[in-house]
Formats: sequence, structure tokens, C-alpha cells
Amino acid sequence: MAEDDEKGYRWETEYEKSWEELTEDAAGLLQASVDEIALKAKRRKLLDKLGNIRLGMMRHLYIIIDMSAAMEDQDLKPTRLHSTLKLLENFIEEYFDQNPISQLGIITTRNKRAEKVTELGGNPRRHISAVKALVTRSCQGEPSLQNSLELALQTLRHMPSHASREILILFASLTTCDPGNIKETVKLLKENNISCSIIGLAAEVRICKKLCHDTNGRYGVILDETHYKDLLAQHITPPPATVSTESSLIRMGFPHHQLGSDKNGHEKPSMCMCHLDSKSTQGFSSTGYFCPQCKSKYCELPIECKACGLTLVSAPHLARSYHHLFPLEAFHEMPVAQLDPSVSRVCHSCQAQLPESNVYVCGKCQHIFCIDCDLFVHETLHTCPGCASSRATQMSHMSL
Amino acid sequence: MSDRKKASLLVVVIDTNPVWWGQRLVDQPDKSLTQFLDSIMVFTNSHLMMNHRNKLAVIAAHTNQSCFLYPRAESREAAGGGEPGGAAGAHDGKYELFAQVNEQVMEEVKNLILTSLEGHSETDSLLAGALAMSLCYIHRCEKESFTGEDLSSRILIIKGSEDNPAQYMNFMNAVFTAQKQNVTIDACILDNDSGLLQQACDITGGVYLKIPQPSGLLQYLLWVFLPDPTLRLKLTLPPKAQVDYRAACFCHRNLIDIGYVCSVCLSIFCSFSPICSTCQTTFKFMGLPKIAKKKQKKLNP
Ligand SMILES: [Zn+2]
Ligand SMILES: [Zn+2]
Ligand SMILES: [Zn+2]
Ligand SMILES: [Zn+2]
Repeated sequence: MAEDDEKGYRWETEYEKSWEELTEDAAGLLQASVDEIALKAKRRKLLDKLGNIRLGMMRHLYIIIDMSAAMEDQDLKPTRLHSTLKLLENFIEEYFDQNPISQLGIITTRNKRAEKVTELGGNPRRHISAVKALVTRSCQGEPSLQNSLELALQTLRHMPSHASREILILFASLTTCDPGNIKETVKLLKENNISCSIIGLAAEVRICKKLCHDTNGRYGVILDETHYKDLLAQHITPPPATVSTESSLIRMGFPHHQLGSDKNGHEKPSMCMCHLDSKSTQGFSSTGYFCPQCKSKYCELPIECKACGLTLVSAPHLARSYHHLFPLEAFHEMPVAQLDPSVSRVCHSCQAQLPESNVYVCGKCQHIFCIDCDLFVHETLHTCPGCASSRATQMSHMSL
Repeated sequence: MSDRKKASLLVVVIDTNPVWWGQRLVDQPDKSLTQFLDSIMVFTNSHLMMNHRNKLAVIAAHTNQSCFLYPRAESREAAGGGEPGGAAGAHDGKYELFAQVNEQVMEEVKNLILTSLEGHSETDSLLAGALAMSLCYIHRCEKESFTGEDLSSRILIIKGSEDNPAQYMNFMNAVFTAQKQNVTIDACILDNDSGLLQQACDITGGVYLKIPQPSGLLQYLLWVFLPDPTLRLKLTLPPKAQVDYRAACFCHRNLIDIGYVCSVCLSIFCSFSPICSTCQTTFKFMGLPKIAKKKQKKLNP
């Protein structure tokens, strides 16, 4: 109630408010329906997602955050900036969860200038702490699309051609203050095969639309915070590899994790390469990952070896992405009545009694699952418990 | 034990590989599967005894299938599931529960071994399937747990046979799911060290222990694996094992230090090949790509 009153004072949110109410009605209708309908909708969404096998999984993404005065608006609570940064923290975590050997960098723009907050890198913690630190910064002046795009372009154009180059702009302002003709920049971005996407926080802006269209990016304007979250989430899943990204075999190292003490139990502490410049004792220990090529020590993976340039990853890092590559086929929906009466009416994986309505059958192993397990298996597990628990079908993933 | 709302779900995965157990019987006739099962039953009973809300499931990873030993859905209705009926005489109920768990597990193991007698037996077990089922079961129990109940879940794998590299992908999917769902995976190794389980325990924060004396299984189980992961910080446990994070190449399943990774699908190969066997992408020659390209451009026009 109090929130509604507060909104009433602001002329610019009043227009949006009516808009918001419309979508809330639509969402409300959905929520009013029974649980099962919601579950089924989830299932449909999953079905739509399948069948996208070739992915460019080494992504290079710059996120440009508008820190102009428009970001102080309170149509998102408590302010556009706070809400953005909060969503962004979550986004970064999910991004690295689904794109394990990708990189990300952050740029802000205000007072007609652009500023690099973090360089491209693969360590989620570094980016998240940088995002957290932005909360205390004030939002000022006008943003500059061109300056921030140029800044991102400088780094991205040097990224290897087999990786994707992307820019995602979170844009609150309705104007941009650029030193030159932004169309030239758009042309450059296009030539360098960089795709730009924009999430607008206010309303559609013509130049934004053109930028996204010309560079094969996506343009969306948020309706409310939930919609904002959805739009951001679209950028978490890897985009299908574009034709022009060159594919190649990349040489990588898989370092051992050494526990320091040798066979005789003596500890030999040493300095790691990542903290060489730091003044603290951080990084001085007997454990670490050693580059198999030049034996430099690091305390974290993935990382590019500073001495010999080899990309160092751990096998689980790569394995985290494999479910994108070998997506689990959808189970068939089937009414219980059609089941063979001799088959026991129990979910194969969770042992729950199957309901009277529909069950879900794996096409490969023919085992029967309840709707909860069907969703859990396809959303999270990415492995059919039936297939994996039988010698004949356990290799199904590798048969591609 | 002060917080009555706390409950712990333990899923025990027992490797019942007949080849490995058979071999064992030849080496040490007095250490049979039955005796090991007895130890495991005492352990599971102790778990149920720790707190009356505690829950239990036992799953077998066998050579050609993995399946639930307890609870079995068919006997669920009669037995009232894994939870002892709250108000009924606690003591008597518990003894019945123990007897029921033990009988059922023994019965199911017997059936399992008898049904798999004919046919070819492999030296490895279908652990990934057992893990996937554990996670689905845990997912269901956490969904069903009533509000106010704080259910923490973990999986203990008791394994003797070899690793199964064919299940790598399924296995890792299960491990990442466990990590996401906050499920700890512990491993109690009876014989062959398992690189896969070392990774699983490291990733989910569980204990990996290769027991030096298999005949002392029960002691290790009670000392190391009975306490909940939250209590373990206060205990002095065996030191962490070194984890082998090397990758297995897709072409020969060899463990490699340096390999080639397809930029499209992240498949790992131990040597350079012009076509990715997983996604059929053709690769350009790798040597000094930047310089080579510049020269080409100059030549072409
Ligand atoms: Zn190196
Ligand atoms: Zn189920
Ligand atoms: Zn299946
Ligand atoms: Zn490939």
C-alpha cells in the first residue's frame, strides 16, 4: 500500500504504473491456476530450449552499466542502480556456472565518459566484489554510448576469433552524449563481429534499437524487476555459435593440485604467480596448481599461465558445460491409463507413487518418472537416472 | 540434538559388484559381503538412532543395474515409509524399523545377486545411476519435508570396484547437481582408489577415505561418516587426499596433463586432429594464426 502511494507522487512512474498493472494481471492469471499448470508451463519452456547443440562456449562479454543521473530513478526499488547491481551479482555467478571458461568485464559510463571497472577475466569473485563496490558510487550526468562502446571494442577486437565477442549494455538514460558519429562505431563493431545487446530501463530509444539490430544483438525494455531479471537471464545461456566465429583446437593444460608436502612430509611453501605483486602474505603457501608446461604456481583455476600463455583449466570446469552439448532428450508424456498393468506405478528415480494423471517415459530406457523428477532431471541433473542405472543405456550421452 | 526440528537424510550407496566381491571371497574367505552388509546395517541403524527425524535410503550400485534397496515403493505403504510414526511408542517402533530396514536390505541384495547371476558381469559398477537416483530421492524428500523442518541431506558411497570411465559425463552431472543442491558426497573406499570419487568429494566438500583395514569398516563408518558435515569441523578427521584433476581425453580415455580442446564443444583430445569427432567441426591449422592471416591478406589483393 505504502509503495503504491509513493509511486503516485512521481509523474514519470505513473505512466509506467498502468503498464505494470497490465502485466501483473496477466501474471496473476497464470499464478491463480493450479500447481500442475505451472509445472507444465515449466516443462514446455524446457522443451523449447532443446535442440541447440552447437554453442560458442568461450565467450568474451563486456557489461556496460549506465551510471548516469537516470540511474538514480526510483521506479525500481530502492533505485535503478541498486536493483541493477543486485541482479548483476546473481547474473555473474550464473554466467560462470554455465560458461565455465568464458570471460567477463565491466565498464561504467557517466558524465559523458566511460571507465573500465574490471578487465576481462574468468574469476567471478573479482567481478562480484567490483559490482558490490559500485553501490557507493554516485550516478551523475549523461552517459556516452559511443565512448563506452569504443572502450569495450579496444579490448574485444583482440580476442581470438574462435571465441564470441559480446557487449551487454544496461541503459537507463533516454539520451547519449557522443563525441562523434555513433554510426561509425556501430559499423566498426559489426566489422569486428561483436554483438551488442541492450536492456533498456526506461523506454525504447531509436539508436539503441539500431545498434542491436545491426550487430545481431537483442534489444529489450524492462516492464518491472521480474522482467528485468528474465531479460538478463537470456544472456546467461550461451548464444548459438555464429558462422563467422572461427573454430579451432586450443591447447590447454590440466594442472595437478599439489598439497605441498613431498613424500617425506616436508612442506615447501612458495609464492603463486597470481599474487606476486601483492604486499600481503596471501598466495604464499605450500598448496597450489602447477602449470604442466612451465611449473608456475597458481592458486586458482581457470587462468592463463602468465609465464607461458597456456590456458589452465580443471577437467570438472569443462565437464560443467557438457550438458549443453549433450542435452537430455525430453521424456514422453503419457496418461497412466495407457501403462501396461504389470508395470509398477512407481517413479523409477524417487520411488513416489505415481499420480492418477500423467507420467513421463524416457524414450531410451523406457523407465517411468513422475513430473517432479522429470523437471528436476531436465532442469538440473541433465542425466536420466534410468539410463544411467542400466548397462545397456549408460553410454547414451556419448553416442552423438 | 537440542534443535528438534533438525533432520538428516542419509543415502547410502553400496557397491555390490559381484566380480569384486567374488575376488575378495577368494582372497579372504572370512570377509564376505554379508559381513560388510552387517557393518553397514549397524551404521545405518546408528544414523536413525541419532535423531528420530532422521531418514534413510539405501541404493545398490550393481554391475548391470542400480536400484533402491530401501525404501522399496512396494513395501512402503505397509511399512509407513522411512519415517517412524510420530506418536506411536517410540522405542518399539524403532526396533521394528531397524529390523525392517535390515531385513529388506538383505532380501533385496540377495534378489539382486541372484537375478544377475547369468550373463556377463563387468568389473565396474553403475555408480552414476545410483547417484542420480539418490539425488532425485533427496529432491523429493526435501520437497515433501514440512515447513519448519530443516532437512540436510548427504550421500555416502561405499565402494570397492574400479571406476567406470564410460559414465564420466553422467557422474559429473550428478556431482555438480549435488553441489548445487548442497548435498555432501562422502566416499568410503574399500580397495581401488577412485579418481572420480576424489573429485566428487572435493567438489561437494565431503570426506574421501580409503580405509587401510577393510575389516574395521564399522569403526571407520561410525567415527568418520556418522557425524553430520556440520559437526565435522569440530572433529579431527583423516587429512585430505590429493585430488587428481587431470582430464581424460575423449579419444582414448587417457589421463592427460596437456591436451587440445575443441572451441565449439569443449571436447578434449590428446593429439591434434583436423576434425572434431564430437561435433564434426573442421579446424584450421593452428600454427601462429595471427601472423599467417596478416600475410594472407596482403597477398590476396
Ligand atoms: Zn605455464
Ligand atoms: Zn519421481
Ligand atoms: Zn532414460
Ligand atoms: Zn567439437
